[in-house]
Amino acid sequence: MQNIPAVSGNKANVNTAEYVKLVIFNEYNATPAGNIVANTQYEIKFAGSTNWTSVGAPSNAIGTIFTANANGTTGTGNASNVTMLTFSSSYTSDTIGNIEYNPLGGLLAVGPQQRSLRVTSADTSIQISGIGGNNIYEILESQGKIRGSKIEITRGFFNNNVVLANAVIRFTGIVTNYSIQEDREGVEDNFTITLDASSYKTILENRIAGRKTNKSSWQFFDTLDSAMNNLNSLAGFSFDFGGDPKSKTVVPGYNGGGVPGGGGGSRSTTPGDTTPSNRK
Amino acid sequence: MAGLQTIINNASSLTIDRRKVVGLQITRNEIPRVTLTPTRQPWKMELEMPQNLTYYNNRDLLEALDTMDRVSPEIVTFSSNACLSWIFRYQGSLTQGQLNAMSVQSFVGNQLVLQTLPGIPSNRVIFEPNDLIQLGNYPYPFTSTTRVTRGVGSTVTVTTNRPNILSVNITNIGITVGNACDFYMFCPNMPTYRLIPGGVVRVNGITVNNAYIAFNDRFTLFEYVGTA
Repeated sequence: MQNIPAVSGNKANVNTAEYVKLVIFNEYNATPAGNIVANTQYEIKFAGSTNWTSVGAPSNAIGTIFTANANGTTGTGNASNVTMLTFSSSYTSDTIGNIEYNPLGGLLAVGPQQRSLRVTSADTSIQISGIGGNNIYEILESQGKIRGSKIEITRGFFNNNVVLANAVIRFTGIVTNYSIQEDREGVEDNFTITLDASSYKTILENRIAGRKTNKSSWQFFDTLDSAMNNLNSLAGFSFDFGGDPKSKTVVPGYNGGGVPGGGGGSRSTTPGDTTPSNRK
Repeated sequence: MAGLQTIINNASSLTIDRRKVVGLQITRNEIPRVTLTPTRQPWKMELEMPQNLTYYNNRDLLEALDTMDRVSPEIVTFSSNACLSWIFRYQGSLTQGQLNAMSVQSFVGNQLVLQTLPGIPSNRVIFEPNDLIQLGNYPYPFTSTTRVTRGVGSTVTVTTNRPNILSVNITNIGITVGNACDFYMFCPNMPTYRLIPGGVVRVNGITVNNAYIAFNDRFTLFEYVGTA
């Protein structure tokens, strides 16, 4: 039997599937190594002096996800209690990096992802359809914890014998929102869960944009950052940027300078040069 | 009464759809380009029912179909009816005893390797194209895509129509072939039915009216591979 070849070069048909790893954080503060509970999933946040491999972790690296096989361990490290969900659009269970992905087949749809030469802030979404009421319950029962979950989308490639041969990570980011859609048409009833995800760059951009120009906000990220320490003493001052700083700065309560904000007046004392339109 | 099995036993025509999910595009210079999506490639069959079933004698069938609705699967076979058993008849040359002795060594992707082969000439055919192969008691038949001969080795490799969709360990389990294979099917469209008055039937010495059952659509049977 002759398969239709590609447009050029007689390349083999490319068979692919999407693999999604979702890590839901169940707690805000990480659990100290001494308090971890057996048969619970954790992600290492701070390795410290803890030997995480002694309680089931494949390595001691930060970000390693493992299921604890013992209660508590020694050391200064801590880990977050997480729930890791893995699923794919493949026809069968596949293992990538020692993680098994549950096959959902065509019930999983992954949105487009922008790939540029430079680091790009891009959003994407995944849709899981054909699900039952229990899955709706799990999403709602998580009380929004699914927002903020880490998401990693991998594209897997099959060889001609339909065996997974290669896998490439194509998106990493954070789940920013979710929605549940219920479609009823006649006697057909379909549930769909949509997860919106943003790349890490978008998250970082939002965080920088959210900083306030005051001391406490500035030092939230770096306690030694003194760039905003003098803001309080400058409050209420008006500046005539570009003017003579000694003669034109208007200080409230001094020299009859008027109310704050009124100091941005004439730049020149020359007659006939008092209107903004005449400014050079 | 088994609902879908009764439908199979009484169907007047059978359509088989095993097409794969593909992306097909024609380039501007009219060269076809095809990509394939790996799926479990479920069996899809369309069965057309004649209007020959009478209502009074088949109320249990209607109840079975209504109970099954569009959500419950049923294991069906084409071997229980002598008029249908030819459809998936085994085309190879092995005896039933030789087939029973064979077992699975491995099944990765669409490459099924069988072991404990019979001592027969190397040119004897084990499977012809379109021969059904079922692994153990798992009712998800595969087909051989090519002719497989005995050869001289201790194993033979069968290229199957679809990859291994079973999530269980199948090493060393036996096989079933031909029309002895089972299918695990459900009916996502489950036709409604009309009753057309006609005929009478004697019940306990009393004559009562009867009717013919007319199904409003074909039965589309879809392989339930969710638990494979």
